[in-house]
Amino acid sequence: MKRLAVLGAALAFTLASAQQLQGNPNLRGEITVWSWNIAAKALEANIPGFNKLFPNVKVTVLDIGNQATYDRGLAGCAAGGADLPDVYSVENNEAEVFWARFPNCFTDLNTLQPAASTLRNLFPAFKWTELTVGNRIYAIPWDSGPVVMFYRRDIYSQSGVNPATIRTWDDFIAAGRRIAQATNNRVKMGVIANGQDDEWFRMLANQNGCFYFNNQGTAITVNQPGCVTALETVKKLIDAGIVLQGGWNEQIQAFKAGQIATSMFGAWYEGTIRSNAPEQSGKWGIYPVPASREGGVRAANLGGSALAIPASSRNKEAAWAFVRYALATTEGQVTMLKEYGLVPSLLAATRDPYVAQPQPYWGNQRIWQVILGTLGNVPAARGTQFFQEARAIMVKTQADYVAGRFPNAKAALDAAAQQIAQATGLPIAR
Amino acid sequence: MNRSATPYLFLLPYLAIFALFWAWPILDSLLLSFQNTRVYPPVWAPSLNWSRLLRDAAFWDALRNTVLILVVQVPLMLALATALAVALNSQLLRARGFFRFAFFAPVVVGAVAYSAVFRLLFNPNGAVNNALGLEFNWLFHPTGAMAVIIITLTWRWTGYNAIILLAGLQSIPKELYEAAEIDGASPWQQFWKITVPSLRPVLLFCLVLSIIGTLQLFTEPWLITNGGPGTATTTLGVYLYRQGFQNINFGYASTIAYAITLLALVFSLIQLRLFGRES
Repeated sequence: MKRLAVLGAALAFTLASAQQLQGNPNLRGEITVWSWNIAAKALEANIPGFNKLFPNVKVTVLDIGNQATYDRGLAGCAAGGADLPDVYSVENNEAEVFWARFPNCFTDLNTLQPAASTLRNLFPAFKWTELTVGNRIYAIPWDSGPVVMFYRRDIYSQSGVNPATIRTWDDFIAAGRRIAQATNNRVKMGVIANGQDDEWFRMLANQNGCFYFNNQGTAITVNQPGCVTALETVKKLIDAGIVLQGGWNEQIQAFKAGQIATSMFGAWYEGTIRSNAPEQSGKWGIYPVPASREGGVRAANLGGSALAIPASSRNKEAAWAFVRYALATTEGQVTMLKEYGLVPSLLAATRDPYVAQPQPYWGNQRIWQVILGTLGNVPAARGTQFFQEARAIMVKTQADYVAGRFPNAKAALDAAAQQIAQATGLPIAR
Repeated sequence: MNRSATPYLFLLPYLAIFALFWAWPILDSLLLSFQNTRVYPPVWAPSLNWSRLLRDAAFWDALRNTVLILVVQVPLMLALATALAVALNSQLLRARGFFRFAFFAPVVVGAVAYSAVFRLLFNPNGAVNNALGLEFNWLFHPTGAMAVIIITLTWRWTGYNAIILLAGLQSIPKELYEAAEIDGASPWQQFWKITVPSLRPVLLFCLVLSIIGTLQLFTEPWLITNGGPGTATTTLGVYLYRQGFQNINFGYASTIAYAITLLALVFSLIQLRLFGRES
């Protein structure tokens, strides 16, 4: 029995290190890839390396926007697979609706050569939950989004705020007040999308071990204590007047204009800051998410995506080669980390020497060690096929609660749970 | 060939297209509204979607927003359009051709383009705030966002309605005004006693078009505010799209579509009752 375990470990090791992809000049064809923002650019950055191994496959990456990728993907599946690319990007949280409603829209990657099941051990187990149904593997894990605080070193120190002392959200609010005072109320502590998204709620809820649904995807848990605390904190931040309200574009404008000293997002936001504000190089740093109370969890996850191959693709073999090169080789994943800050979920890539290097843009901080160091503490959360419906309800609930239309956060989330139950047919967990 | 079959053969291409692209989807969506489409494959569930519609707070929000636009924006726009039409018809106005074109011009601009422009105009650092010296975050405030939608719609459609009303104005016999003037009626009296009653069928036409357009409203709220903040500018059209194509719940989306159709029917009946008798 012991010997078997040793053999298993050895096998896992060989599998985990078997990431050298065999090139094939005889593989020909053109493939189109759909993705968004930084993620699209990161995939594009992998084309030269891929073409060294597969010189006769022409890859075109189209940046068609995050929401548009999802919307057009679903519309394409609803239309029986029309107008879909060869490689499709999907966020893990949003993925299950595809497999549940359109089980034949995407290729079961186990039917390709080599079967996707040979890649299973290369990624952490939790990354697969939303991408597999029974024995079918519909997509390969790409990146993950450990949440951190990105902050402006110069503004913090000029205002006399030491990020190391920000341990809880109350500390964070106090720091925000100090920075507001020191800057004549010109600089805020972040941009919260209120009424258009509920990302801050989701990040804080995840940190507290709570989410819309339980991890089996069988019941609604949005009105449980961890979520109640999260929603209360969001309102506290807004009521304290230390955050701006806005969406993705507003946040980029705000940090470029120096209107915010902090941004909270999944670590993939690193590339967005770095590529949009090269002139602020050296002025930025990161620190872990504040906890909801002293000694609480200082880790959360937002986002993280995967790549799938639509069943209608005429070049599955070429598409599969590209997916494997970009996601299942250290070279592919580290390229995306270096160029655009996408946090690899490929285990071998997280141990790459690059991760330990100090980053000049970030004031020579070893940010990837800090970021990857939080991964192990991230509580699991599952989007289920009803993610978008629950999100739409939660966006509205948060906005109403912030506007004072509920007596307290618990009442707001009880109402949200009722509506989600109605929309999904799932029961509310006790 | 039988001669009596000829007209039917000429009609056949149209009928085939009608059956395929109109009749069948209309029937199929009726059937879909009685199915649970959240599962694969869909199953028969006659009361699921319709009972949800009655209890769905988000649907009632969307309905309330749509009705709000209906009762605020449509009368405002038609009043402006009537005033504009009278001005454009005035003998006192120079360069009438230019002004007619200028007010009609928004119709030529694509919805995506002007939606993007309005989004920029009402940005916190946008031209509107700069001009007014405000720091108001229009798109992230429920009332502000609704105001932006109403302003955009009014900008887009006032000139269009004014041109239709102008055509109506030009068909009013001049003798009526001459006679009124001889009788000593003021311009104000002429407007209310001659212009408005004569324009009534044209106004009704504009009203019907505007109401149907508002019930189907999608593009502007989708592109400018994405229905937000919260559900503050989610119209029935936006809500239907979300259910259908973001949540892939075609059954519920069909139910909403039929609810909109029923509403249009109710509005049409009211209009016929109020205005239809004499004309």
